[in-house]
Amino acid sequence: MISLREVGLVYPNGTRALDGIDLEIAKGSFVFLVGHSGTGKSSLLRLLYREQKPSSGMVVVDGVEIGKLKRSKIPELRRKVGVVFQDFKLLLDKTVWENVAFALQVTGAPTRDVMRQVPRVLDLVGMAHKSRVFPNELSGGEQQRAAIARALVNNPKILLCDEPTGNLDPVNANEVVDLLHRINLKGTTVVVATHNALVVDRMRRRVIRLEHGKVLADDERGLYHGIESDIRPDAEDLALAARVRSGLG
Amino acid sequence: MDWGKVQFFLGEVWRNFTRNVIMQVTAIGTVTVMILLLGTFLFAQQTLGRVGGDQIAKIEISVFMTEKASPADAQRLMARLKSDPRVKSVTYIPKAEGLRQVRERLKGQLDTSLLTSNPLPDALRIRVVDPNQVHAVAAAVGKMPNVANVEYQRDFVERLLRLYDVMSKVGFAFIVLLVVTAAIIISNTIRLTVYARRREIAIMQLVGASSIYIRLPFICEGFLDGLIGAVLAVLLLGIGRWQLWPKFVSSLPFFPLRDAGSDFGTFALQLLGVGAIVGIVASWVSVGRYLRT
Repeated sequence: MISLREVGLVYPNGTRALDGIDLEIAKGSFVFLVGHSGTGKSSLLRLLYREQKPSSGMVVVDGVEIGKLKRSKIPELRRKVGVVFQDFKLLLDKTVWENVAFALQVTGAPTRDVMRQVPRVLDLVGMAHKSRVFPNELSGGEQQRAAIARALVNNPKILLCDEPTGNLDPVNANEVVDLLHRINLKGTTVVVATHNALVVDRMRRRVIRLEHGKVLADDERGLYHGIESDIRPDAEDLALAARVRSGLG
Repeated sequence: MDWGKVQFFLGEVWRNFTRNVIMQVTAIGTVTVMILLLGTFLFAQQTLGRVGGDQIAKIEISVFMTEKASPADAQRLMARLKSDPRVKSVTYIPKAEGLRQVRERLKGQLDTSLLTSNPLPDALRIRVVDPNQVHAVAAAVGKMPNVANVEYQRDFVERLLRLYDVMSKVGFAFIVLLVVTAAIIISNTIRLTVYARRREIAIMQLVGASSIYIRLPFICEGFLDGLIGAVLAVLLLGIGRWQLWPKFVSSLPFFPLRDAGSDFGTFALQLLGVGAIVGIVASWVSVGRYLRT
């Protein structure tokens, strides 16, 4: 579903955001991207919905090579890839229903589809009862659920989440991650960039750790602190992590 | 027809249009001024062109006989001129008839009873086939016997045509300037709307709206600015055409102004078209520049 080969990304100001990334993310999988701020998690996600082009290497998303994607074909890709952000990016002058419908309406979807899809996703995220409410009257968790509904309304194959729980308290964070998990179980590939150790450790899913733009670790059933708790792993840490994993695994 | 889609689209346009009313009024006002001046200019140009055309078609060579020439001399000259292939027609105007025509022409403007004697000689009026031959024919006639002098309105017509030409060029430059000004103001207005809606645009791009879908509401906004401005200008031009123009014509008795343009409808449609196109092009460029970055 997602494949990166030798991917490098250098911003115009010279910052090397990503460096020699090799990754395969299978269809229907659930992946956490973890690492300190500025290690390239968001940059990697931005490549996947073609907000950025790779400076080198090859990024393929659902059979589409991002680097060679024509500008006019970007909308097509974006309809296959839903994106959720830390700050929700809801339109404050539209209700929940309108925010979700907006994503369909601006792609020229027939009203019939809007009337069918919007209630379906609002129901899925548990926001059907708040459909007439404006974002400012909602809690953070509810706003994020509305944003997830908007990302899902086009029936994307992939859902990318950039710090989805960054603005949420632990209870709401857990609810949102549970929701992402449910979405994943319906077949959507979910990639979550996060700082939230609690949700990562609770889920025990694949964890890809980035450091200085490189993949430092990639564990199939990982923990937030994974193999190493430090930037430079040493033998002792590795042994500890192995013990922890075998103990939990 | 998907009315839900139409309703959504019109809602977006309306939201844009009402977001910054002052800027919208400025854009519309600029278009109004532009179309108003454009319309006035085209009307003046058309009228002058028509006057010039009328004059060229009517151009006549007046041949005045010498005092001692007899009517028989005039008849002989007339026969000779009629055999010239360049000459379309020749009319003989005896001095009495000439005076009657002068009195007729100046009726109500000058007290012709002041003329106690007839100062006019016998005359011939020649019309030529091709206005460009007026000069050659007049020169030839001037050399013929019993001819005192030859007059024609060449200078007047040429001056008129020159004026017409200069006015066209100056006017054209002026119009171009106005169109550019209007376009800049409209595109600035659109840019403000685009800026005000940058969050919506970002989300549209994020969820995969095609660029035409993102642009269309803004293009419509520019179209509305242009069209509303043009409608106001056309209304003002209509008032000018039927209220002020007749008064202007009647105040200039010597100037042969004909009532120009009974086809005000076509003219108005053309002006509306200009306004709309300026609006569309300006907003297209403005939105395009924003979306590319």
